[in-house]
Amino acid sequence: MTSLDDARTLLAEFPVADGHNDLPWALREQVRYDLDARDVAADQSAHLHTDIPRLRAGGVGAQYWSVYVRTDSPDPVAATLEQIDCVRQLIDRHPEDLRPALTAADMEAARREGRIASLMGAEGGHSIANSLGTLRGLYGLGVRYLTLTHNDNVDWADSATDEPRAGGLTAFGRQVVREMNRLGMLVDLSHVAATTMRDALDASSAPVIFSHSSARAVCDHPRNIPDDVLERLPANGGMAMVTFVPKFVLQAAVDWTAAADENMRAHGLHHLDTTAEAMKVHRAFEERHPRPVATVSTVADHLDHMREAAGIDHLGIGGDYDGTAFTPDGLDDVSGYPNLIAELLDRGWSKADLAKLTWKNAVRVLDAAEDVARGLQATRPPSNATIESLDSLDG
Amino acid sequence: MADLQDDLRTTAAAGEFDDLAEPYSDEAVMAADPYEPVSDPDDAPMTRAHAILAAHPVADGYNGLPWALKRLSHYDLEEGESTVDTDVPRLRRGHVGALFWSLHLPDGLDGDRAVGATLEQLDLAKAVARTCDEGLRPACTAGQVADARNCGRVAVLLGPAGAPAVGDSLGILRQLHFLGLRVLTLTGVSWASDAGLTRFGEEVVREMNRLGVIVDLSGASAPTVRRVLSLSRAPVLCSRSGARALRPHPVNLPDDLLAELGAAKGLCLVPLTAEQTGPTVRDVADHLDHIRAVAGAQCVGLSGTYDSGSAHPQELGDTSCYPRLIAELLRRGWDEADVALLTWGNVQRMLRGADFTARAAQQRREPSAATISELDG
Repeated sequence: MTSLDDARTLLAEFPVADGHNDLPWALREQVRYDLDARDVAADQSAHLHTDIPRLRAGGVGAQYWSVYVRTDSPDPVAATLEQIDCVRQLIDRHPEDLRPALTAADMEAARREGRIASLMGAEGGHSIANSLGTLRGLYGLGVRYLTLTHNDNVDWADSATDEPRAGGLTAFGRQVVREMNRLGMLVDLSHVAATTMRDALDASSAPVIFSHSSARAVCDHPRNIPDDVLERLPANGGMAMVTFVPKFVLQAAVDWTAAADENMRAHGLHHLDTTAEAMKVHRAFEERHPRPVATVSTVADHLDHMREAAGIDHLGIGGDYDGTAFTPDGLDDVSGYPNLIAELLDRGWSKADLAKLTWKNAVRVLDAAEDVARGLQATRPPSNATIESLDSLDG
Repeated sequence: MADLQDDLRTTAAAGEFDDLAEPYSDEAVMAADPYEPVSDPDDAPMTRAHAILAAHPVADGYNGLPWALKRLSHYDLEEGESTVDTDVPRLRRGHVGALFWSLHLPDGLDGDRAVGATLEQLDLAKAVARTCDEGLRPACTAGQVADARNCGRVAVLLGPAGAPAVGDSLGILRQLHFLGLRVLTLTGVSWASDAGLTRFGEEVVREMNRLGVIVDLSGASAPTVRRVLSLSRAPVLCSRSGARALRPHPVNLPDDLLAELGAAKGLCLVPLTAEQTGPTVRDVADHLDHIRAVAGAQCVGLSGTYDSGSAHPQELGDTSCYPRLIAELLRRGWDEADVALLTWGNVQRMLRGADFTARAAQQRREPSAATISELDG
């Protein structure tokens, strides 16, 4: 048996619980939610990283579907509800393959049934418009994590890729974290500034996650996690879900991307635009400047380091498929996870360790967050705090 | 408590949903069992009013309690809260069995401000209901309303919300419905204006039918009312409308629309406000008389409009006052069967009708992917 066969056997028992997939955004941008035009029950490799046959081939057993909306969206709350509606329709259309999941128990039920547990995560505090009532509304609609920021700061938290302003979390930001703890919504620290990561770890009484982030010590990019933060995960109980995005994991790709983004802006496009027109501009640039290629091994290097820093109980996988223009060789789309598992087997990771990486840690973390929420709900009413009352205007 | 459990027939009726196919048959929804009187015609009107209300409580179509409570730092609805018009002791004295909580927003909010504020309103309403679970029980369907009543609780339904709440998006409409929204008022948006419904507006009504969100036409333009009456496969309501023939308030309905509403088996819920129906119990009764005559006994109901910032007629100052109004109707010769329809039966028929229509439509139609830009350009 090759290690790839072993990997598939392992994944059949402990499939991948992936922290971040932007299929809903791709469906919004490409076909405005015309789900007949992108039938994910069939092969969509011409358009998408993700479809059900490839999720099956990749050994995916749980997926946090991102209900991301752009930070410059005029109506981010409204757009987030439309993204949630999209996920719900996907689940309703494919009941044999996708199972709605709100809890750790739902994830295990999906695994037993051989379906893909479908959870939701919101990507950026702009989706709650500075309102704890709206946060609770998203929880009520099934959202189980909130990434505190996306690429831009919010009023109450600094992003990794914006100018520092709050210096981490404001008082209202800490209140958001506490209310998420009370609800049982996971605090996601991907995208946030290191200062925000540390503040959130201080404020949170539940395990936190990084839904799609890798190690800064391996590749020095602000989207990655510094070692001092990784080292706090054992005490917190949370997990870091390694991402595959080449421009975050490979230094040569970081440099190349900076040049490519500049090229996009020169063409009057947003650097994250994934429309057909934008992709054309991107491809033209790529022809002139060969793109440095990340590989399975690049990602495995991050995992080896993250394991050193955080420990095997605090690792997971967050591919960011359909949220990134490029993917590493061997991890080209959602069917690629077995290649990563095979690489780790070759590097000597045990089957027990890999089961934690792919499945067990993700279930444990959500279960722990539910546990904390049950305790807090017995003692604390819903918070009515407002940003006006907690943060001074110049805060 | 004992009297509240007499309504088991309603629950049994709910069990028949599964056998019904096409939208809903008139026989199934309209043909009630022969009415069995519960009061002694020789008793005084007030005594009879209490007896009838005990069996057929008030389904109150409009109440703003959650919003009114926002200004209070502390409240206890089970013990009684004198600073508002609505609390559990007075709901019980008034024989209120179901309450629609309005989610209407201040005028002029749109886009995210309306969508976000509606999420906050839903959150607030649920929080208020949770503080009071001995007295109130959230409900969505006709069956759940009957269940609440059989447990001795006042059923709380969420809505109406204003149309800006859905942010011009059917996906948002679906998510608000998922969070419990049951009634949407078709005013204040580009797709339901003085000119009537646009193509997107028509698609909103079809999607509301598919979901079981009831259309509220109070304040809608006459062209919108007429288009919805011909389009909607589920009965519609007017959450706060009196008779314009008696009082020329813009939200009150003229006789021609009342007659058309009656012909479409819609429901006109009459507000107990000085502004719309007049300053006395007799004024309110005049509106009820008139609407019953024009639209029919099966098309009239009650909308207390308490805790919504309106002044109320004398002797109808809070949610405990319904027996006074019912006694007045009995004095005017309303028979018990019509009173029972007015207070409870008609709203239950409306909810059942919406539930039937939704079930049938969901077998035929997928969620609509239409967008306002595609349909209205």
